Amino acid sequence: MGGLSLLAPMAWRNLWRNPRRTWITLAVVAVGLYSILVFAALLDAWARSSRDAALDVLIGSGQVHAPRYLDDQTIAQRMAAPGARLRAVLDGPSVEGWADRVRTPAVIQSEYKTLPAELLGVRPARERAISVVPRDVSAGRYLAGDADGGIVLGAHLAKRLKTRLGKRVIVMAQDATGALAQRSFRVVGLYSASQEDEDRFAFTGIEPAQAMLGIGTDVSEISFKLADDAGAPATVAALKAAGPGLDVRPWTALAPLTAAMNSFMEAFVYIWLWIMFVLMAIGIVNTQLMAVFERVREFGLLQALGMRPRLVLAEVLLESALLIGLGVLAGAAAAVATVLAFSGGVDLHFLARGAEFFGAGHVLYPRLAPAQFAAVSALVWALGVLVALWPAGKAAGSSPAEVMSHAQ
Amino acid sequence: MFLVSRRSGLAAALLAGALAIAGPAAAADATALLKAAFDNWRGKSSRATIEMTIHRPAWERGLTMQSWTEGDDKALVRFTAPAKERGNATLKLGHETWIYNPKLNQTIKLPASMLAQSWLGSDFSYNDLAKAEDILTDYTHRITGTATVDGHTAYDIEAVPKPGAPVVWGKQAVRVRDDGVMLREAFYDQDMKLVRVMTTEKIGPLGGRPYPLVLVMRPADEPGRWTRIETTSAQFDVALPASLFTRSNLENPRG
Repeated sequence: MGGLSLLAPMAWRNLWRNPRRTWITLAVVAVGLYSILVFAALLDAWARSSRDAALDVLIGSGQVHAPRYLDDQTIAQRMAAPGARLRAVLDGPSVEGWADRVRTPAVIQSEYKTLPAELLGVRPARERAISVVPRDVSAGRYLAGDADGGIVLGAHLAKRLKTRLGKRVIVMAQDATGALAQRSFRVVGLYSASQEDEDRFAFTGIEPAQAMLGIGTDVSEISFKLADDAGAPATVAALKAAGPGLDVRPWTALAPLTAAMNSFMEAFVYIWLWIMFVLMAIGIVNTQLMAVFERVREFGLLQALGMRPRLVLAEVLLESALLIGLGVLAGAAAAVATVLAFSGGVDLHFLARGAEFFGAGHVLYPRLAPAQFAAVSALVWALGVLVALWPAGKAAGSSPAEVMSHAQ
Repeated sequence: MFLVSRRSGLAAALLAGALAIAGPAAAADATALLKAAFDNWRGKSSRATIEMTIHRPAWERGLTMQSWTEGDDKALVRFTAPAKERGNATLKLGHETWIYNPKLNQTIKLPASMLAQSWLGSDFSYNDLAKAEDILTDYTHRITGTATVDGHTAYDIEAVPKPGAPVVWGKQAVRVRDDGVMLREAFYDQDMKLVRVMTTEKIGPLGGRPYPLVLVMRPADEPGRWTRIETTSAQFDVALPASLFTRSNLENPRG
């Protein structure tokens, strides 16, 4: 401890013997860490946004289907309305909300165009708990109840059909017997989502859809949203037990691309960390080596006066630790300030529909993840000190006789 | 004076009632007039040779076909010329439609998604073939006016879809002559804007009845596009073998 009280002031004073060099190294560390942290927050926001954009429309945290539904997504692969055992799990505390739906490929016809889409018969009250579509109605209204015979179309689909609020469209689909079922629906609302989703999904009340398709009270899928994604395996297992013979899958199995994107984003943060760290390390090693070479006579003298090489090593390491520590603090502080400043959302509207190609929504919400911030900062600091071992070793390894006779 | 006019009014009403019973040609019942027009067009059964001309601003082509119909819900159309289209056939039984392509040697049951597609590139869709009589069943009819055309009385009939009927149109406006010849059928969107119109351009005797020999379908918003259908010969109320309207006959024509 006595060593540290001697070394710390020495290290601190040595830092400021060449302030310009110290400031430059500080800047390298601070800017590097700042970029890692802000980039990580943005990537995380992007990953969450793209995941939510994919999941919050229909998928939810997971879904229950009839066994062959995912291979053949028609009304032929349907299941009975959820029974008491399934409901018991779905109404349990781990599930935030759930909705059963009728879902079938269909054709929507207006006076001018006939376009393919998917018809979804939904329970509006349940959908509100798990889907963003009821909230994202941009014109008109969402469905009022299970028996609502109106239709809510994607804004872009309505435009392509040359139809609008209040007009009739005809929906044609295969019914339970394989015959062509058709029904007239009045457009009561338009929703906005990604263009792909807008073109794909059309919503009506579950009862008119069941009546049109002649399937009684059967449904095509149950979508559930979990309060905490970490509980997914347990809930999936419980649902499988409660609904034997049904196909229960978490979102990672239903939307593998989204899941892959999500884990890639996490990996990418660390790839970026390594790239930035290598650059920072070059800067740190270079500065510290220069400093050490400049001071070989000083280290020789210290050793000649009786300072142990271990203490010389500790002194130089302490210098680096202080230097990098200051840089890390400055970088982290700036990153926190930046993320907090943008926590209201980064508007990507300037990218227009381009952002959709990356699967993200129009506004990103960077979020402070204290654990990740602390971990990355500590990692950068520790790795920085680790690379500083090299110049420190050089300093400690210099032989007093040699360096003092050498030069000047 | 008052008494007299009331009596004559009563007489007129009685007369009108008697005429309505006498037949659609004399009466002003919109639904009956439309039904008469469809019956005149098709008969109980029919066999006809039809030439279709598809006109576009850049090109024009002609097709020849044979058609057989029986009642409201059976129809078979087979193309005979040009060689490229020869053998292509469409069979309609009730609400189901099959198309046969000889080059693929395959019959396809028309999926819903194809119903609105153009029928061999013309301005008619498969829906027009399959749903032609919807105007009788899915609409309410009202006479909006009369005119005298070529010495006949022509009735303008407005057909409005019944509530909930699976119909995209806002309304149809039909002009029918008192002898059952359809003169014009116009399709309006739900804003009552004209979308397309089919007009009868030549009327003549055919198969022992006055018949719309030439029909032309024109989309309203695309000038220079039209499809003309000319019936060159036809027999009505003929006996047709039951085997005619079958999928096997669709693929392997006999007789």
